[in-house]
Amino acid sequence: MALLTALVGAGRARADGADPLSDAAILGRSPGIRVESVRVRFTQLDQAGTGYQSQAGPPEGPGSQQLVVSTPQAELVVKQGRKLSYRLEVPFDIVTAASPDAVDIVSSSSKRNEAGSIDLTTTYQSAPETAVFLRGAFHLEENFRSWTLGAGVTHAMADDNAVLSASLNEVIDWFDTYDVHGVPQGHVWRTSSNANLGLTQLLSPTTVAHVGYGGTLQRRNLGVTWNSVPLLGGGLGPELLPEVRHRHALLGRIVQALPWRGTLKQSYRLYLDSWGIVGNTLETQLYQRLGRGAYVRGLYRLHHQSAADFFTTRAAPGLEHRTADSDLDGFTAHSYGAKLVLVGSTPSVREVTFDLGFERYHRSNDLRASLYSCGLSLLF
Amino acid sequence: MVLAGALAGCAIVPQNRRAKLADPTMAIHEDPLEAAQREKFHSTREGAAGGDGSTAGGGCGCR
Repeated sequence: MALLTALVGAGRARADGADPLSDAAILGRSPGIRVESVRVRFTQLDQAGTGYQSQAGPPEGPGSQQLVVSTPQAELVVKQGRKLSYRLEVPFDIVTAASPDAVDIVSSSSKRNEAGSIDLTTTYQSAPETAVFLRGAFHLEENFRSWTLGAGVTHAMADDNAVLSASLNEVIDWFDTYDVHGVPQGHVWRTSSNANLGLTQLLSPTTVAHVGYGGTLQRRNLGVTWNSVPLLGGGLGPELLPEVRHRHALLGRIVQALPWRGTLKQSYRLYLDSWGIVGNTLETQLYQRLGRGAYVRGLYRLHHQSAADFFTTRAAPGLEHRTADSDLDGFTAHSYGAKLVLVGSTPSVREVTFDLGFERYHRSNDLRASLYSCGLSLLF
Repeated sequence: MVLAGALAGCAIVPQNRRAKLADPTMAIHEDPLEAAQREKFHSTREGAAGGDGSTAGGGCGCR
């Protein structure tokens, strides 16, 4: 009789569309759409220095690279059901007090320029250990448009001890071009095709390591188009860059918990490209917990790069390629900074995090910047 | 990458020994907004930064 009752009950459940062995019956109803997290951040950048590509100075250069940029950012992560999630990031750049140069004859992009992006990543958890994602982004500012399409996959192995990731991105930039006197020359474009591989590995209960490789092929117009180059005989000429650039970056990072409730993060990045630039970057971050709801972070970063093969501050006539852009020069850069992070919770918010940070950057070829930032994140 | 792949087979940390790894200070990647901001700052000032798939941005952030 009991067996008959159970069979009848199961039959009724099926007739109602509620299979007792279905995912919904076992795991509960689908959670629908819910907000996972909200993050906002504000960064203020104050930069000073000089560079030979800038015309904001004497004709023989170097010109000023003074710049003030305010960057508000927002990020929203929404989960739909158990397998789909969406991450939307919206950053803005508000550039004021930039050193005006020739391009301001026809535009005000160096005096005041607002820029914004929309960056959406959709992730589908195709299996407990595998997720695939699609990314689309659009960037807009006064004389520049950029579109990004990307796709990738992450796969966890060995009970989540290792996570492999791979992604592909294609970026198309379309922008106005000017000569060195600020006269518009129409529109130009470039493409960047990028592939990334990464592996994150737990090495011990207190150690995590990550290695990654990124390769990028850039084609067409690879400059800002209004950069100038001082000429040997006097006067200024346009920057002339190759139309192809192969770029390779190799990154290694290790995170180690320390016995005094601290954490050490050490990373190294090697960069090589077909323009002759070789870069080495070391970064150390030291975290120290001050209590359950607070910690501080100290940061030091050392970057050294060699100059592009065709970098010059006095170009001879007839050179096929030339640039005086101080970003493509050989230099050493030091950054140091500190951040205070406060963590709490409320009945409706699982974790509330507020941080306040400062970072100072200075470069051996006369560029200095201070970054002030604060951020708030809510995890539900 | 080959070395890392070899290491992946060597170390297995069981779930019940990952308490320290769950601390936010142990995250292998930074806060995404802070990471994006720092990446853009460096990639628009250092010819040897970038080249790893980040959104280019324009004006002074063209590389």
